[in-house]
Amino acid sequence: MTETEADLPRVGVFLCRCGTNIAGTVDIPRIAQYAEKIPGVAYVEQNLHTCSSEGISKIKEAIRNRKLERVVVAACTPRTHEPLFMAAVEEAGLNRYLFQMVNIREHDSWVHTGDKEAATEKAQHLVNMAVAKAINLEPETRREIEVTPSALVVGAGVSGMTAALSLADQGFQVYLVEKDAEPGGLVKDLHKLLPTDTKADMILAPMIEAVRTHKNVSLFTDSKVTGVNGFIGHFNVEITTGQNKLTTEVGTIIVATGAEPLSPEGYYQYGLHGIITQLELEKKLVDDTAVLPNQVSMIQCVGAMEEKGRVYCSRICCGVAIKNALEIKRRFPSTKVNILYRDLQTYGIEYEQLYRDSLEAGVSFINFDPHRPPEVSITTDGQLNLQVYDTLLGEEYTLEPGMIILSTPLTPREESKELAKILRVPLTPDGFFLEAHPKMRPMDFSSDGIYLCGTAHSPKNIPECISQALGAASRAAIPMKKGRIMAEATTAVLDPEKCVGCGACATACPFDAIIWGPLGAPKVIDAACKGCGVCTVECPVGAMQLRYFKDSQLTPAIDALLHPFPDEGAQERKPVILVMACKWCSYAAADFAGVMRLQYPASVRIVLVPCSGKVDFRHIYKGFMSGADGIIVAGCLKEQCHYVDGNIVAERRVEAAKKTLDALKIGGNRLEMFFCSAGMPRDFAEYMRDFTERIRKLGVATLENNQAFRSLDVKTLTEDAGDV
Amino acid sequence: MRATYRIIESTDIQPNVKMFKVYAPGISRKAKPGQFVIIRSHEYGERIPITIAGTDPDNEDVTIYFAEVGVSSRELGRLKEGDDILNFSGPLGNAIPLKQYGEVLCVGGGVFQGANYYLAEALHLAGNRVSSMVCARKRSHMFLIEKLKEISKELFFATDDDSDGDRFQALLESTLERGGYSHVFTFGPTSMQKAVCMATKKRNIPTSVNLFPIMVDGTGMCGACRVTVAGATRFACIDGPEFDGHLVDFDELISRMRYYTPQEKIAMVLQEEGVI
Repeated sequence: MTETEADLPRVGVFLCRCGTNIAGTVDIPRIAQYAEKIPGVAYVEQNLHTCSSEGISKIKEAIRNRKLERVVVAACTPRTHEPLFMAAVEEAGLNRYLFQMVNIREHDSWVHTGDKEAATEKAQHLVNMAVAKAINLEPETRREIEVTPSALVVGAGVSGMTAALSLADQGFQVYLVEKDAEPGGLVKDLHKLLPTDTKADMILAPMIEAVRTHKNVSLFTDSKVTGVNGFIGHFNVEITTGQNKLTTEVGTIIVATGAEPLSPEGYYQYGLHGIITQLELEKKLVDDTAVLPNQVSMIQCVGAMEEKGRVYCSRICCGVAIKNALEIKRRFPSTKVNILYRDLQTYGIEYEQLYRDSLEAGVSFINFDPHRPPEVSITTDGQLNLQVYDTLLGEEYTLEPGMIILSTPLTPREESKELAKILRVPLTPDGFFLEAHPKMRPMDFSSDGIYLCGTAHSPKNIPECISQALGAASRAAIPMKKGRIMAEATTAVLDPEKCVGCGACATACPFDAIIWGPLGAPKVIDAACKGCGVCTVECPVGAMQLRYFKDSQLTPAIDALLHPFPDEGAQERKPVILVMACKWCSYAAADFAGVMRLQYPASVRIVLVPCSGKVDFRHIYKGFMSGADGIIVAGCLKEQCHYVDGNIVAERRVEAAKKTLDALKIGGNRLEMFFCSAGMPRDFAEYMRDFTERIRKLGVATLENNQAFRSLDVKTLTEDAGDV
Repeated sequence: MRATYRIIESTDIQPNVKMFKVYAPGISRKAKPGQFVIIRSHEYGERIPITIAGTDPDNEDVTIYFAEVGVSSRELGRLKEGDDILNFSGPLGNAIPLKQYGEVLCVGGGVFQGANYYLAEALHLAGNRVSSMVCARKRSHMFLIEKLKEISKELFFATDDDSDGDRFQALLESTLERGGYSHVFTFGPTSMQKAVCMATKKRNIPTSVNLFPIMVDGTGMCGACRVTVAGATRFACIDGPEFDGHLVDFDELISRMRYYTPQEKIAMVLQEEGVI
């Protein structure tokens, strides 16, 4: 051990075999031998499952017995297992931020199954990176935040009212804001509800009565939320009713703004007499004396599951159609009902039963091909004519219904965009609110203290809305019940000695979490900082840093990930690709690519960043200098950034960096910005393969020409910059 | 023969701030408070506008203060006494009219304390009753205090931390409240000038600000230094740098000043890495 090595903190490395999940592809004993030689590593252990209670106790034991000062776990994704290990490290008396996890399963063994040698070599690089970062980690303190025991619920439909009442019953003050004159939302207009055939009013009336009379609910009708500032525990919200504005403080916020059915202008001659939507049918059916013609046809997926635009399935329309068909059959037994469908969504126990009931009741189903949709025409005497090609029988039918009912999808409300901006939360490309994680955090936004439920999230039926609303209320109640929460320490921190007072950080912060004093000394409001790191890249002098992702931690990590410099001798070597991946989207997409075993070259190496907006030119430059042949900055799809617009800022920076790379003769085409979502593992893997191929064609870097970059003088740079 | 702009004196004011006295006979004879020079330190250097903070026609020199916050200002800061600056052109921009304003308050902040003193002294010599407010992040970042004392009726110190002086905003409000000023002048960070304007607007005290947007040639040709004043586009270099602070769109100015941050960051990294 050299002198300098003795000064390094004692790092313990725990290598998880994950049964055969990792060890089947990656040679774990070889990694162990390799890890032992990394400077700073004082202890290496191989576990069958590091996350098992046995594995956890071994980590704690080693921290105590081996006097470990840093812990590295090479296993699966930190997105699911990091909290578990951090807690273990903390219990053993080490600061939880002196822990580093690296993914050798989803990002390695599962995606390079065919090449054990390459997978093992990649694992070495990944472990090397984690150790380098761990060595430079610093203890950080989580902050305790007090939580005001009151909530804002936006939208007083079934979901909003359910959530509001649940919180109110638990003793929390609730501000329930409704844009319409009456609570009730979309259900106000419905006749009977899926899947239990309950009359809408039976559910709605008691709920409306309850929110009007509950002592803990303040209902604001004809009102809008016009401003939200602050953070979990202390949101300052502005509620506007006509000319009046009320400002109040709440601890949590639930979004339940609902959705609205598409009005199918331009589809199937909608607007002609006798062609109506399911919602309009429901309004008719509310009247007990309503009369229907003796033949009606329903057309499904009107304006849904399209090739472009509204690509999604609204998933409740099939149930709605069948429920209404049954109602018609019950009330008008002689009326013939046809349902023209593409794919029938009758999932689950109740829907399947409804479907069977409808078959028994004599409802007939005709399957059509989306590329050959039914055609509606009207004869001169006003008779509706419906031409449809039944794909199952392979025959063309002509129907003459007295009424055509169009099943249209639920669509996001236009006002969602405005609210999303006010709350600084993301929407999906379809315009629905986007949860933090579809499985792990389905009712949370990525911003702490804001939750969502109901059809504002995606189309769903009443039981699903109510379950989700109760879930969201329960999520919101947790911090309010505790009265205080521990906030992650990964916030921005300023070194006032280095700061030049330019204010770039404050201007760049999407959450107004940095106050730029008039005299130029910025102050970070820890509780409002969400940890994106956009400000740290904006800072020209490196005075602003993100805890746990400091330049002093990320830069050595990138260097170590690429170390040793790729062998120049190997002419046929695969280009080394460095991916700086946002933890919300591309890192997660890489995780899912692993789960799906989607293969891509093992020379792709992924570094976790909190947001693509955290990627600094410093890291890009370091990457190329350390041997990367190509670099990808991977961020969320546009409009989907969890930090408002970190990905857009990143794109601008990448554009500027490409020009510089051209001037440096590294080549701007070796750097690309990639936008994806967590749900795009196929696209991720495909992009990795394609980019690697593009870089292979450009040729791989050699140590010699890398060193040549360093000797570029300003003259060459400015002259070249003039050309680009 | 090309003029030689020699640095005849260089002083470290603070870790990041330097004062140069530069031999520039023509400018030293003509320059007035509020005017600026544009400097290039070498052939491939960026043009840097710097406000003039004093002249000595007898010694034929011009005083400037600058903060080393970017690649070019760092390069400038590397020059030593006896070194020559490649280009030193000026005086550019309009001088602030040295009229009888009566009771004036001069607010100077950060590296602009030098330019502020130059103006305050001239206003004092023109017969105005001058009070001064010095703004800096810390007491140790203040300079020229003794000289300001000599010419100021009252002198106020504002820092951004609570350790010294009063907090800026509170001090500003109380000073304006009881001062009876007929005019306020500001030199300093844009955020500071904006804060002063917000406070003086409430009290209807005419306020001159001095703006330094991104600038290239400094002679009205490029249009990079556009600022919106009273809804009209003005050029800080030839229409200013002094403007009526109550009419300036500060938010637009601040966002424009951030336009090249990605490029600035890249340049800083390349400089740190020794590439440029």
